[in-house]
Amino acid sequence: MAIGHHSILGIATFGYLLLFILHVFYCATRRERVISFIWVMFSVTFGLHTAGLLLRWVESYMMNIGHAPLSNFYESLIVFAWSISLILLILKKRITYPFITMGSNLIALGFMAYGSLSPSVVRTIQPLIPALQSNWLHIHVITCFMAYASFAVSFICGIVLLLTWKGIVPPKEKLEEINYTSIMIGFSMLSAGILTGAVWAHYAWGSYWSWDPKETWSLITWIIYALILHARFMKGWGGTRIAVLSIVGFISVLFTYFGVNFILTGLHSYAT
Amino acid sequence: MYWSIRFFGLDDVYHTPWFYTLVILFALNLTLCTFRRFLRLLKTRKETPLPDEEVLKKKAMNMMVTNHDSDFIIDIVKKRYRMTHTDGQGAIFEKGVLSRYGSLIIHCGIIITLMGSFIGLLYGYKGFVVLRKGEIKDHMVVGGRHEKRHPLGFSIRCKDFAVSFYPGGEPKDYVTTLEIIDNSRFVMEKPVRVNHPLSYKGLRFYQATYGNEASFLFTIGGEKILLREREVYRRDNLSLMVVRFARQIHDFGPGVLIAYLDGAEPKTVWFLKDVKKMKEQTLSGVPVRLDDIADDFFTGLEVSRDPGVGIVWTGFACILFGLFVHFFMYHRNIYLRKTADGMLVAGVCGKNPEGFRKEFSQLEKEIHGNRSS
Repeated sequence: MAIGHHSILGIATFGYLLLFILHVFYCATRRERVISFIWVMFSVTFGLHTAGLLLRWVESYMMNIGHAPLSNFYESLIVFAWSISLILLILKKRITYPFITMGSNLIALGFMAYGSLSPSVVRTIQPLIPALQSNWLHIHVITCFMAYASFAVSFICGIVLLLTWKGIVPPKEKLEEINYTSIMIGFSMLSAGILTGAVWAHYAWGSYWSWDPKETWSLITWIIYALILHARFMKGWGGTRIAVLSIVGFISVLFTYFGVNFILTGLHSYAT
Repeated sequence: MYWSIRFFGLDDVYHTPWFYTLVILFALNLTLCTFRRFLRLLKTRKETPLPDEEVLKKKAMNMMVTNHDSDFIIDIVKKRYRMTHTDGQGAIFEKGVLSRYGSLIIHCGIIITLMGSFIGLLYGYKGFVVLRKGEIKDHMVVGGRHEKRHPLGFSIRCKDFAVSFYPGGEPKDYVTTLEIIDNSRFVMEKPVRVNHPLSYKGLRFYQATYGNEASFLFTIGGEKILLREREVYRRDNLSLMVVRFARQIHDFGPGVLIAYLDGAEPKTVWFLKDVKKMKEQTLSGVPVRLDDIADDFFTGLEVSRDPGVGIVWTGFACILFGLFVHFFMYHRNIYLRKTADGMLVAGVCGKNPEGFRKEFSQLEKEIHGNRSS
């Protein structure tokens, strides 16, 4: 095959880098035309990213080990970055603030670059081990990563809420609204991810809950976001306190994703 | 140190009495809070008087209709909203009332899930069965600090076991063909593979592991004997045991180390399958020949019974449904009130103001659009 998925994903990574530079350029010049160009550029990058993932899927079938690109750590990094961009497109109408798109693109760039540059990441297409050969794989992984991606957007809102840069930083109420929307999507998706995972575990491992480190940490993350929702709606918290909690929540997400893979071993250790 | 770890169960926190106590306290707390919320919701439902004109005029979404009477407006609004109250002064409509119960449904779902898991803890158990090809067992081994046998209530037989590999050598699929024999009658035969357990009489059999174990075919004094590692064979004045199996000894191929008693003196001797001289030897006056070595697979099946699973699934369904209702549906009211200037129509929503604004302007269009009639 002339063009492999690695080269397309490489161009997409470069696209995210370019997007970051464009954002910096906008912050410096404040030209509105840059914003519309950013959205065009972002759509192209997202299209390439999607094409790269699909091509990897097709290539796996050509190797006779066909499966969706959701099975190892490299694939999860690419899917994580892709999910962040997808959430951004879904919320496009609400997220008209360059600060949020800049942060999201930067995180996507980080995951893409880590996936394609780190020597410790295996980038080849690997066959699917028996435990992962299930239709639950798709729904479980996609819901979880949609949740992670929404929490990434919420994390950026949390960071921006703590900043004070007049003119560039969006109004606080708008930020809180975006933060709430992304936590709402993220919390629903995380719940769906945990519950579909539990149902799958019942069929694959013989128990719907085994206190595997990944399970325990996703429960901790779930509790943190449940606390945020309760603090906001029952106690009327807002502003800095919610911002800090959103950041703490995302740190827990990152630990669930990276920390558990690298530090703790358990049933979920396919991904390393 | 060890004592304190053991006492507080720090090596297995999630199955300690203090952790269970915390979970039970949490469940109680959640139940009471949910119940209190439910009572409050019931109370607010009863108190819904038609707000005053001044209050309604202050709502973000309101319109004055001068050219239609109330019956006409009620008919239009009724197409999309449920009328909950009507009197001489006007009417109240609502939609998406379920969304107010969203959080209640989620919390009930969590309580149901916890109940299901407690039923599983009380009445469920887990065990393990290792079967060789052709072997029948009627019990499993239940783990924990002290292993013990637990009857299955019926028998299972491993009719066949097969592993297939990817070209790279990773396992692709492993399947146990399992037969269920109940009351010495054959009931069914089903392949059990990873992700596809077999369920019978509330017990579920999961393909967990597999391995291989060699078996050795000997001819001892003219008698064909199948031995495995660590298995002891006794006859008259000969007693021997297979101590070790090596797949390759130097260049001589596979071999088996046999320990035997020569009189009262223990001795060991190697049997090599592919070397004529060492294939047949005489031990304590009995001719012993190693005929064949077979690598047999055995399958490891996890067995579990959990009567709480159905309840847990119900809880999950409630949580997901509740989340959808709570986050993606919203409650709104339409108020209609007669005033001196005409009919005042106002809309109030709990959340999603943008979506409701569109909905309200649609309603506005429909009422005003019928001006000609």
